[in-house]
Amino acid sequence: MIGSISVDGVGVRFKRNRLSRRNFKDLFAGRNRRTRPGEFWALRDVSFTVQPGEAIGVVGRNGQGKSTLLKLVAQVMLPDEGTVTVEGGVAPLIEITGGFVNDLTVRDNVYLTAGLHGMSRREIDQRYDEIIEFAELEEFVHTPYKHLSSGMKVRIAFAVISRLEEPIILVDEVLAVGDKAFREKCYTRIEELLAGGRTLFLVSHNERDLLRFCKRGLYLDKGRLVLDASIREVVDRYNADYGG
Amino acid sequence: MTSPALTTRAWSPFTRYRRSLWLLTTRDLRVRYSTSFLGYLWSILDPLVMAAIYWFVFTQVFTRTVGEEPYIVFLLCGLLPWMWFTGAVSDSTRAFTREAKLVRSTTIPRTIWVSRLVLSKGIEFVASIPVLAAFAVATGATLHWEAVWFVLGILLQAILTLGVGLIVAPLVVFFPDLERAAKLGLRFLFYASPIIYSLRDLAPLGLERVGAFNPLSGIFSLYRGAFFPEHLDWFAVAVSGGMSVLILILGALVFRRTIRTVLKEI
Repeated sequence: MIGSISVDGVGVRFKRNRLSRRNFKDLFAGRNRRTRPGEFWALRDVSFTVQPGEAIGVVGRNGQGKSTLLKLVAQVMLPDEGTVTVEGGVAPLIEITGGFVNDLTVRDNVYLTAGLHGMSRREIDQRYDEIIEFAELEEFVHTPYKHLSSGMKVRIAFAVISRLEEPIILVDEVLAVGDKAFREKCYTRIEELLAGGRTLFLVSHNERDLLRFCKRGLYLDKGRLVLDASIREVVDRYNADYGG
Repeated sequence: MTSPALTTRAWSPFTRYRRSLWLLTTRDLRVRYSTSFLGYLWSILDPLVMAAIYWFVFTQVFTRTVGEEPYIVFLLCGLLPWMWFTGAVSDSTRAFTREAKLVRSTTIPRTIWVSRLVLSKGIEFVASIPVLAAFAVATGATLHWEAVWFVLGILLQAILTLGVGLIVAPLVVFFPDLERAAKLGLRFLFYASPIIYSLRDLAPLGLERVGAFNPLSGIFSLYRGAFFPEHLDWFAVAVSGGMSVLILILGALVFRRTIRTVLKEI
């Protein structure tokens, strides 16, 4: 079904030390379950399924695999073992300013980024005014992107990505940016998207955000999925383990 | 609120590939031409200056014993496509690192990170063909019907360049030294390829057949055939056709096997 996600026995392995020696053999090693020296599993044996329209919060301390999990769902990283199946497109609010080019104008950047995320020219034409209005950048559409303030950059990036008509939205801590008024606008936008039946995946350390948007929680610890339950239970367990 | 999101995208993978490739290629060209004062001139200035140097050295300083008259046309037939090859290969050493943030946040088919470089340099090559034509007119070179092989030359070169790029781009992520090695390799290849001379000039050394195994030889001979039909060497073309296809297959295999690790590294 469109909007569903199925993660089955997934593991991702990283080098512990970036400088550890590589050879051609590791490079072409492909997928195998053996852990070689100097490597660790950022995620291992993680399985869950998400129904269309569910809102899921991912909880865990830093470095326990939350962002890696999000990247797998966004399909910008591929698992070393197991499979990730995502039905339908994903609007990733991860590294949202990544596609923006300093030397092009705001307008060109909107067309470029939205296009790379799969919107057609006509769709962008229809939503262009809405995007600019949301970002409050009406006076800056012909300004080169590099001359925007950092807050403006995030605003336009959020405006574009959150306007993608994709069934799944991934949010990685971006809500911590921007001033209070804009943050509230972002929250409202995410609530609208949820009401529209989108599937939401949220990584956050902010308990309030998690409880506000999510119904279900995934608790990751040391690369394992420790608990998959209602968001309240997950947050309580996390607080109990790490003293909130 | 209606949810148009819950319908699937009607685009085939091919359309998506083409669209994303085109977006990134036009972005590159637009950035290049909007930020520099000389714009288009830059893509032809480099080969022109090189051609002027070689023309001066080989026709004014030394007595030229290689190539054909008019030498400038002979040179440009090799030099302009060489700029395409060397530009695309040296850019592909930075294909992932320069666009790391974008690679990390979009799901477009990943070979695009290489193929867009081949395409944008290829467009610059095609845009520089009028310069060749201008020199041909100015020096009175005759154009032969063999000019139609230009199209085959472009096709073979695109295959070869893409293949090399697909090998180089992921490997540089693991072995940063390869970036400098590639630069050195390209400089060597410049003199090892029939650009300032022709494959026929290697005959007295007995290297004509060996030289044909440089896949660029056959490709350049296709371009040269437009003005110097006797330089069209079908043996070299056949070899380079075969090698280009092999290199592309090899490149696709290397790319497929390494991409998982590349995405973790960048």
